[in-house]
Amino acid sequence: MKLRTATSAALVAALALTAAACGGGGSAQPAGDGKSFEFWSFSGINQKQAVEDYKKVKPDVQVKLTEVGGSTETAQALTTALAGGKVPDLVLIQGDDLPKFVQQPQNFQDLRQYGADKIKGDYLDWVISQSTAKSGEIIGIPTDVGGMAVAYRTDLFKQAGLPTDREEVSKLWPTWDAFIETGKKYTAATGKAFVDNAATSVFYQAVNQGPQKYYDPAGNLVYTTSPQVKTAFDLAIKTAQAGITARLSSFEDGWSAAMGKGDYAVISAPSWLLEQIRNNAPATKGKWDVAKIPGGSGNWGGSYLAIPKGAANPKAAWDYIAAMQSPQGQLEHFLKSGALPTTPSVYQDAKLLGRKDPFFSDAPVGKIYTDSLLGLKPFLIGPDSAAIGQEFLNAITDVEQGKGDPAKAWDTALANIKTAIGS
Amino acid sequence: MSATLSRPRSLPAATARVRHSLPERLAPYAYIAPFFLIFAVFGLVPLLFTFYVALFDWNPIGEHVFVGAGNFNRLLADTRFWNAAWNTISIWLLSTVPQLVLALGLAHLLNHARLRLAVWWRMSMLVPYITSVAATTIVFAQMFDRDYGLLNWLLGLVGAGPIDFLQSGWTSHLMIAVMVTWRWFGYTTLLYLASLQAVPRTVYEAAAVDGAGAWKQFRHISIPSLRPVIVFTIVTSTIGGLQVFTEPLLVTTTSPLTCGAVRQCQTLTLFLYEQGFGRFQFGYGAAIGVALFVLIIAIASLNYVLSTRIRPERG
Repeated sequence: MKLRTATSAALVAALALTAAACGGGGSAQPAGDGKSFEFWSFSGINQKQAVEDYKKVKPDVQVKLTEVGGSTETAQALTTALAGGKVPDLVLIQGDDLPKFVQQPQNFQDLRQYGADKIKGDYLDWVISQSTAKSGEIIGIPTDVGGMAVAYRTDLFKQAGLPTDREEVSKLWPTWDAFIETGKKYTAATGKAFVDNAATSVFYQAVNQGPQKYYDPAGNLVYTTSPQVKTAFDLAIKTAQAGITARLSSFEDGWSAAMGKGDYAVISAPSWLLEQIRNNAPATKGKWDVAKIPGGSGNWGGSYLAIPKGAANPKAAWDYIAAMQSPQGQLEHFLKSGALPTTPSVYQDAKLLGRKDPFFSDAPVGKIYTDSLLGLKPFLIGPDSAAIGQEFLNAITDVEQGKGDPAKAWDTALANIKTAIGS
Repeated sequence: MSATLSRPRSLPAATARVRHSLPERLAPYAYIAPFFLIFAVFGLVPLLFTFYVALFDWNPIGEHVFVGAGNFNRLLADTRFWNAAWNTISIWLLSTVPQLVLALGLAHLLNHARLRLAVWWRMSMLVPYITSVAATTIVFAQMFDRDYGLLNWLLGLVGAGPIDFLQSGWTSHLMIAVMVTWRWFGYTTLLYLASLQAVPRTVYEAAAVDGAGAWKQFRHISIPSLRPVIVFTIVTSTIGGLQVFTEPLLVTTTSPLTCGAVRQCQTLTLFLYEQGFGRFQFGYGAAIGVALFVLIIAIASLNYVLSTRIRPERG
């Protein structure tokens, strides 16, 4: 079989570790030429559009945009870059990945030196507070928030004898329990799955709808005792057992394909997910609509722009942030790509409230998603939030696939989290 | 080595007779230096550094806290480590046994004297081996897909229910083992074939004259003459099997680092990668690397013992 040296597996790790050892932030602060900067983003969030727009305003500035991969890969690449010392000038970090970086603010430029503390009032308090370090440094400016809703197929709802109007559909599920009941009706009528899966479409939504998720406001781990987490978990298990899910893991190939084939009628859709439905299932244009999320409000997702400490052109990067992430800049980006602004001053703007999406039967997405933020009770995202969420998700998926014991799933998840994060 | 110009320097008689100038004496070292320099930079130093890092709680962008044996204690108590070790062994068994048996049979067939287009048949064995692992894995993963896979479609034709290969432990292992086998059986076959070709044709002819059929020839001539190379392939496949990485990484798209929701097909190298580069626990990742290193050294030693003890029966 494989003719490799006996040690190569260990070396794979060691090689990168050596690179890591050479790190340590350079403290010299070159201002750069101010005319060019390197920008790492992740795919699927359409930063290309934003960069194109910026070039129109500032034609003399060169932007080298690299879409590193998914949000997780981008955060990994950034960590390696910070450890190795060769960093981009500007980087987009997804909300769940941010706390690890905020805990080590010495790796980033304190954006207060460029005036971030003067404009921080422009952003939702709970959003900007996530990128503020304990000692006060602001290391990231928020670009968008999730906002929550449910996308559903009007044609399939009609076949199942359910209402298709988005107001009436929203009334079908004031609560998650009502959502599950609706699902049972749909599956009984059509014999098909109602929702894509229990883990992301139910658990990840419900757990994001309260004041306290895995951490309390002081930063202590409370995932074992937080009623919000347990309730969301139980709802997801109940959904899995109801037999109304397509058992397709989100973002998997089969999940994308099923979106176009109508193998499920409903999917929980944070604002950024609409873009994925459009791309994955272009032929279903006009068959979708967007209704309110059970429970009414919540947030899943959102990203931040940060400037690493060793950036060669921090000033040019900051100019980009200041121009594109101003309330007006975010509003324009929303109108083009649908990413929901983090700047509440534009939430009453007629252009935002009036935005309708033809792909989704002209649903007033601007109003639906901002409404979902207004009743929101913000919660703290901690350094291990992503790992904890992943283990809960895994336990639910295991039950959904018919392998895991639903009665033991909660204990399994807690045990796995304990192993994963060590506390 | 006995009667060449450059006798070992330890023999006084030799040094007395032939005097080498300093450049001449240094030249051999210069010739072998590139490998050892590159080995030192990319092999030895990182290896030693891994041992060092394994003693720390090492945050790549933060502090490095000395924890001594802490990472190793944690590793031994970590069910995920033992799960990964079991998965690795299971996948290794499921891929190696069929692979070696298949290669043995194929090598025997390809060694046949009257085979037409023999070179073409033999060379085509190497095609899977030169195909990119990533491409192979993606194609196989689609074939094994629960809802849209070719395999489940075929099962459906004969009335069998769809199998969710990835979701249960052993079917996911089987799926990966098939990929590994597919990629390596040709390589192993050619190794065996090369060894078989060294057996004088007359031995087979004599056996045939004595009335031995194909099966008897295979058992009593081919297998014994292949014994050293079989030992070799078993040992190298063990080393390779402990390092299976790309296949489990690529069979799932949503949870690549764990190879499924309950780590059903996470191998040791994948676990190392998850901890080191997914969670950035470099110290813990390094400790897994050290454990893997020890395991591989143990098996390499076994290689040494076996290869010095077992000799071919044929003189």
